[in-house]
Amino acid sequence: MHDFEINFEKINNKKITLKEKEFRNKNLKLFNSLGFPNKRLENWKFTDLKEIIYRNFDQLDVKVAVPNINKINLLKDFDHNYIFLVNGNLHTSNFNHEEKSKIKINSYDNDFNYPTSTNSLICLNHAFAENGYSLEIEKNYKFKKALIIYNFFTKEVKNKILNIKNKIKINENSEIHFVEYTINESKFINNVYEHIVLEKNSKLKSLYIQSNKNEGYFYKFLQNKLHYNSDYLGLIFSSGLKFNKMDIECDLIEKNCKCNILSALFLDKNEHQEIKTRINHLAPNCKSFQNVKKVLCSKSKGVYQGKIYVKDNAQKTDAYQQSKALLLSENAEFDSKPELEIYADDVKCSHGSTSGSVDEDSLYYLMTRGLNRDDAIKLLVKGFLEDVVEFVKSSSIKKFVNSKLEDRINEH
Amino acid sequence: MLEIKNLQVSINNKQIIKGLNLTIKPGELHAVMGPNGSGKSTLANVLSGKNGYEISGELNFNGKSLKKIPTEKRAQRGIFLAFQYPLEIPGVNTNNFLKTSLNSIRKAKGEKEIDSLSFLKLVKEKTSELGIDEKILSRQLNVGFSGGEKKKNEILQMKILDPNLSILDETDSGLDIDALRIIAKGVNSSRNKKKSFLVITHYQRLLDYIKPDFVHVLSDGKIVKTGCSELAEEVEKTGYKKLN
Amino acid sequence: MKYQELEKTKEYKYGFTTDIESVKAPRGLNKDIIRFISKIKKEPEWMLNWRLKAYARLQSVKEPNWQKPKYPKINYQNLYYYSAPKSVKNKPKNIDEVDPKLIETYAKLGIPLKEQEKLSGIAVDAVFDSVSVATTFKKKLTEKGIIFCPISEAIQKHSDLVKKYLGSVIPITDHYFATLNSAVFTDGSFVYVPEGVRCPMELSTYFRINASQTGQFERTLIIADKGSYVSYLEGCTAPMRDENQLHAANVELVAFDDAEIKYSTVQNWYPGDKDGKGGIYNFVTKRGVCRGKNSKISWTQVETGSAITWKYPSCILQGDNSVGEFYSIAITNNHQKADTGTKMIHLGKNTKSKIISKGISAGHADNTYRGLVDISKNASRARNYTQCDSLLMGNKCGAHTVPYIKNKNSSAIVEHEATTSKINEDQLYYCNQRGLDQEEAVSLIINGFCKEVLQQLPMEFAVEAQKLVDISLEGSVG
Repeated sequence: MHDFEINFEKINNKKITLKEKEFRNKNLKLFNSLGFPNKRLENWKFTDLKEIIYRNFDQLDVKVAVPNINKINLLKDFDHNYIFLVNGNLHTSNFNHEEKSKIKINSYDNDFNYPTSTNSLICLNHAFAENGYSLEIEKNYKFKKALIIYNFFTKEVKNKILNIKNKIKINENSEIHFVEYTINESKFINNVYEHIVLEKNSKLKSLYIQSNKNEGYFYKFLQNKLHYNSDYLGLIFSSGLKFNKMDIECDLIEKNCKCNILSALFLDKNEHQEIKTRINHLAPNCKSFQNVKKVLCSKSKGVYQGKIYVKDNAQKTDAYQQSKALLLSENAEFDSKPELEIYADDVKCSHGSTSGSVDEDSLYYLMTRGLNRDDAIKLLVKGFLEDVVEFVKSSSIKKFVNSKLEDRINEH
Repeated sequence: MLEIKNLQVSINNKQIIKGLNLTIKPGELHAVMGPNGSGKSTLANVLSGKNGYEISGELNFNGKSLKKIPTEKRAQRGIFLAFQYPLEIPGVNTNNFLKTSLNSIRKAKGEKEIDSLSFLKLVKEKTSELGIDEKILSRQLNVGFSGGEKKKNEILQMKILDPNLSILDETDSGLDIDALRIIAKGVNSSRNKKKSFLVITHYQRLLDYIKPDFVHVLSDGKIVKTGCSELAEEVEKTGYKKLN
Repeated sequence: MKYQELEKTKEYKYGFTTDIESVKAPRGLNKDIIRFISKIKKEPEWMLNWRLKAYARLQSVKEPNWQKPKYPKINYQNLYYYSAPKSVKNKPKNIDEVDPKLIETYAKLGIPLKEQEKLSGIAVDAVFDSVSVATTFKKKLTEKGIIFCPISEAIQKHSDLVKKYLGSVIPITDHYFATLNSAVFTDGSFVYVPEGVRCPMELSTYFRINASQTGQFERTLIIADKGSYVSYLEGCTAPMRDENQLHAANVELVAFDDAEIKYSTVQNWYPGDKDGKGGIYNFVTKRGVCRGKNSKISWTQVETGSAITWKYPSCILQGDNSVGEFYSIAITNNHQKADTGTKMIHLGKNTKSKIISKGISAGHADNTYRGLVDISKNASRARNYTQCDSLLMGNKCGAHTVPYIKNKNSSAIVEHEATTSKINEDQLYYCNQRGLDQEEAVSLIINGFCKEVLQQLPMEFAVEAQKLVDISLEGSVG
């Protein structure tokens, strides 16, 4: 593919309000002028998305069909509520384990009040998003069982670029634990914009995982707003995609928030996984922690860009960030940019980043106990990722995550 | 069982072992004593097949040369090394590790893999036999273990893996008397006609609890004196210098 | 002296001006100015052509704009590109012929050119605005075959060496300021240490900007041939002026097999006043290449001056087993800004690099560490260790850490650690309890914080640097 530009007819042919049309047209114009991001942009320093897309796609279309799906396959590993999305469109939902009056679930909501962005993928999303869901949990409600968000993509999305917009709002004193579970069989681009709001004293645990290895090229921009004493935990186990970038921005806007983002990834073949976090400490006394662990095989590439920003009034901030990579092949690559930008003095902020191969002394120790080199490496790899997996508190979900990780490791 | 003839070992062009001869028969327990830097740990590492050494001379185990056999194959044939400084391996669960290890060895012997239940039973039996708290096995491998716990863990592994030749590399150093007793108990209860031991130590102390059949004094890469257990006492009294 | 001025000099004791008649090229940047510089320096033709090539290149490149500290647009046509004391026009043969005013200036700066020869084991090249005014210890160095002279002299006398290595580490196409420097550089030092020679004394250049509205563009080239060793120091000061002055130097280092170059900088350019008026823009390109196996380049810098410091002394580790080091203290106070760090490019096998950076920010200042560690595919068993610590004094200042880490070799080990904190209250309390007042306590703790870097400096500089650290932070405690 050489040039990718979308003409305005795609929007102007739709029967929509003037406001919507203006919003979409404005954003399309921005996208067309910026194009897909490339290495010249600081946020894409290690990843030339434009080049990746042009190399791997001959054509791309923004129009997406949503086929009828009659039967859905659910996970049997643990009891759960679910919402089922087909190509980003809300298909069914089931909250049989919960008080239904406390939960509002809707299809994509038409909101066109987003500020202008310089991120061309967000512009593209604003211009074309039609699918997605909006979930709101009422005050004082704690989920009894986990919620699985089935993200199912059919073969109809082949060579498409999907633009999906999701919204999640957890009101005061409420709690939810969700697992976003992606099942995909197509080669396509998924461009998601997700907005999460945690109100006072609320808690969200989110976990991202893929069912299978696939040809998906995913970008997700996640905008989180944390209010007083709220608690956010993001666990990213999404190995298996051809390309994945999780771009997470967390605003800690009131006191006493907690924000933890952890990831354990095993990458193989020519998979490319990037995690970018930006934690904005905007109020005093908040805690944030990021721990990104990547095991890189074959020609895979792992990138971590993490920034901790501390505003001058955000005293007593406690922020720690670490990234570790294990390179198992001479063609693998790990790039990182752990960044601190700090304007308050009474803070504890630090980061660490290491990359290297498996420790030979550890291997030797294991081998003196009769393990062959491959088994010893596997054991060390699992051990390396273990401290992130530990954060999954539910034993049935942990077992599920472990089995998925083991599948990946054994496939290698 | 083990036959070492004119062993010469160097690392980074520096010769550490300079023509060492040693034969250990089944059922025998040999102690190697020697001052710091005499090559004791090098001997242990070479026997277990650690990389990075240049080796000449003969090194036979049960009649076959060990020289080209990788570390894990030696372990599978029944050579066990209790490390002087057991490594901490974060994230790796001790129980899980031991089971994988035991099964690798069983598989190599052509035995069936052990199931989880029998493994737990075996662990229970061995921990109580040694008087070790079972809990250390549910922790990460040696992570945050005290020096004594690490050494006890080594002996527990030895008991579970049931090797033919056990090499104890200064297992007694830095231990209090209670831990020392546990180590000695572990060794003594394993001794029989088929099992052999090579106990490397700096002090005679451990040999009060474990009676060696032979004591060798290693100095500057060579065995300078061999005797029975009384030699250890002599060394303790007169020091190493006198023997040279 | 008026009271205000008196106050000023207390803060920055090198802020005086020398009233000396100078020869200046007309303002502005064009081919004629470049020809003027080249002619006055009696340069061979290849040098002029080299400059003109850089000038042509300059027309097509833009000033970079990605750095954290922004600055108002510089009007390059309004600057003087050449300024020299009139008395230096006919270059003095020895120290006795040097204008007494210049000797006095350097004496005031703590660099006694005359007594130097007798006093300490440091050979000095003194650069005043655009020219070198004196070089000491020449004879002793010549005996060993070491060349230490102003680069303008080297261009005439050692043309082959200069031609071969000038621009070999920092090509004229590198980036805007490097290209600008290549076109208009006026003086600087040249060092060549022959094979197997260990330079018997510290070599040092002292840079002084005196004339107003003058840019200083010096160029330094150091070549350490096989198995040689050299330690080089540079110091810099400038008078206090309300205008911002540009200092855009290029420093190139080349180390061959088994050679070692140690390069230390104590940078104390005028930082501007309390409200951020005036001060030097210190935009410097420093780069060394470890061309031979087992070679080593070590950068040590103490950056306390300048309104804006913007530089990344770098090492290209080309030879197998070569070593690169970067030790840095950057202190910013009042409205000073710094964006500094290093690049370690690992190309050869078994190459090692170490980065220790200490940033201290006070007042309204902004301090950024920015660095790159790049392990290429062939750099087997490469090793990097990076530690960046930042200290904030007050909450009107900022500290930033922006490391870029690229690892393309699985046998390499890369470790990076960074912390940001304020002065530990318990440590302060402990010092106070032992009778130290707040300022003494802070000074003690800061010096402890910087110790790892300070101890890399040669003795004479270390003492000076330590004092500088204290002075730079005066008034920021409270």
